Amino acid sequence: MPDIDPIALIGWSVSPMVRSTDKTEAQMLLEVITGAVENAGITRREVDFTCAGSCDYVAGQAFSFVQNIDAIGAWPPKRDSHVEMDGAWAMYEAWLRLQLGDIDVAVAMGSGRSSTADPALIYPMEMDPYYLAPLGTDAASFAALQARALIDAGKVTERQMAEVAARARRDATGNPNAQVSGDFDVDTLLAEDYVRSPLRRHDLPPITDGACAVVIARADKARELCDNPVWISGFAHYSELHYPGMRDLTASPSTTLAAKAAGLEEAPVEVAELQSAFTHEEPLLVEALGLAPDVPVNPSGGPLAANPIMATGLVRIAEAATEIRDRGRQRTLAHSTSGPCLQQNLVCVLEGGSK
Amino acid sequence: MVQAVQSTIQFPYKRSLGPVVGAFMTALTDRRIIGIRSGDRVIVPPLEWDPVTAEELAHDFVDVGPAGRVTSWSWVASPTAQHPLDHPFAFALVQLDGADTSFLHAVDAGSIDAMSTGMRVAPRWRAARIGHITDIEAFVPGEEPVVPADDGGPVAEPVTMMDYNASITYTLPVTPNQQRAEEANEQGRFLGLQCPVCGRTYTGGRGYCPVDSVPLGPDNEVELPQRGTITNYTIITPVQYPGQTETEPFARVHVWLDDTGVVLGYQPLLDTPNDEVRIGMRVSAVWASEAELKDLASNAEGRLLGWMPTGEPDVDDPDLVDRIQ
Repeated sequence: MPDIDPIALIGWSVSPMVRSTDKTEAQMLLEVITGAVENAGITRREVDFTCAGSCDYVAGQAFSFVQNIDAIGAWPPKRDSHVEMDGAWAMYEAWLRLQLGDIDVAVAMGSGRSSTADPALIYPMEMDPYYLAPLGTDAASFAALQARALIDAGKVTERQMAEVAARARRDATGNPNAQVSGDFDVDTLLAEDYVRSPLRRHDLPPITDGACAVVIARADKARELCDNPVWISGFAHYSELHYPGMRDLTASPSTTLAAKAAGLEEAPVEVAELQSAFTHEEPLLVEALGLAPDVPVNPSGGPLAANPIMATGLVRIAEAATEIRDRGRQRTLAHSTSGPCLQQNLVCVLEGGSK
Repeated sequence: MVQAVQSTIQFPYKRSLGPVVGAFMTALTDRRIIGIRSGDRVIVPPLEWDPVTAEELAHDFVDVGPAGRVTSWSWVASPTAQHPLDHPFAFALVQLDGADTSFLHAVDAGSIDAMSTGMRVAPRWRAARIGHITDIEAFVPGEEPVVPADDGGPVAEPVTMMDYNASITYTLPVTPNQQRAEEANEQGRFLGLQCPVCGRTYTGGRGYCPVDSVPLGPDNEVELPQRGTITNYTIITPVQYPGQTETEPFARVHVWLDDTGVVLGYQPLLDTPNDEVRIGMRVSAVWASEAELKDLASNAEGRLLGWMPTGEPDVDDPDLVDRIQ
């Protein structure tokens, strides 16, 4: 990473993850923003910049993020921005914004109510409108094409994919926010029908309503407000081309580039929280990131336990930060992704200790 | 039990295709699949720029296929309403003969057992082709394209536009606050929710104070007055879009309810000629009677019909116009 002013996470909050919430998206955000600023020991008045990640097609409403601004408490007026991407990218923008040096504290958030409609009908609208969207290409179908490519290349088996699902659901039993958890027998999982072959139900994430908010601050302010800030030691994202038929689906070069740019290889990480919403994506990402085999992946259960679209990646960052602040880790990794077949990938390296 | 409201949104997009996608779509109507050269590679479907170097590509098109090899596939046992086939099929990446990339489309193979990586497939053409990705109904196993007996032939003019129509049905919750606000409206009342921190009052069953970010609930309810003052207005000349029932210019006014901070926007003004509408005018709410309600199948304001001048003297305050919410 180039020499930049250190920025730290000083508070965060993750909502309960449910199949369908009675709350509006703004209400979900209101609660996690309140949770995050209280977690940071500040109030909304001390927040200088906010950035939200959400999706109008998911919300079922044009300019839905305008209503979500109500959750920020934007009076007196605040500097605000929005990305039609996961909240992890909202945090990336907030991280960039703080580096201008004129303000100290930012809140980034991500929110999605996937219960609004059938995600398989919403997703195609976000694809290439000429060649892909008119075919109704849903996320699970794209993922299945990548899974098949990995299976054909000998990089993963359906049994290994079921083992990823069983481990994620078992790990999720310790996560009070998880939507899917429990002990599952791999042979029983493998006996189920395909949803999109070679993907079975357990290879897919649940459909989830949820939100997440984080508070980040520049170094001096972070030290002033917080005894144990979690430092963002590296943050980068890269994109590949959109059309999956023009990529090698058995590799994720954008993940590798982002990891290198974020300085991942400079020291080992102790935990990785990956936005692997489909089981086969985990071994692919582990390889692309060059993670050692003993690094625990998604101890929270990951997206297979709860997948709040537009917040799933930011939740990974919150979970990776929790590993440092609450579980004594020193260096952890969070990953987020966007687009069909892992088109775009973001890597965030977090560290504890003083800076 | 939380209520929900369901609505179906249509997304009828018309897209211009440009010189490259347009050429591809036009070729489809001629039962040809074209790629574009980029150095030694042939990219299918064609892009305007090289996907790696981002250099603009010369329009050097080349026919590929029509048959090709499946490089990956997924069986779709239960198609969605947006999928190209209404019975089980495969999505597949197909490397057409002569292409260096794979083309994503449906394969109508009949059964998952007929699918395998490496299998050969060829297009089954739609009879009436318009220059759209679904001019290929699907690929089918084998080497030979399937051409319908009633083939319509190519279009006469190059294809420059395409339609994309999606329809999504959304279900959104009606929160308890919104329900109580609607119930009050049905009873001919305005329900307000007053923030316990700043004292501002909101209507419409808002769930929180957007200034202080605190939740609002039954404990914060206040009854709002039925009289107010017009702070601003506009005269709308109706455009006859679908659903517009007005045919003559009509007024919409902002009403500041007495002794509150509440301004209700874009309210109908009753029994008042447009040239008599003015800022400072005193008005009171008019609610539909039980008999009138029966005729109000879909009044956006619920039972509220609008506002009637009270005949009181106007309020003379030059700052009124600033009160728009």
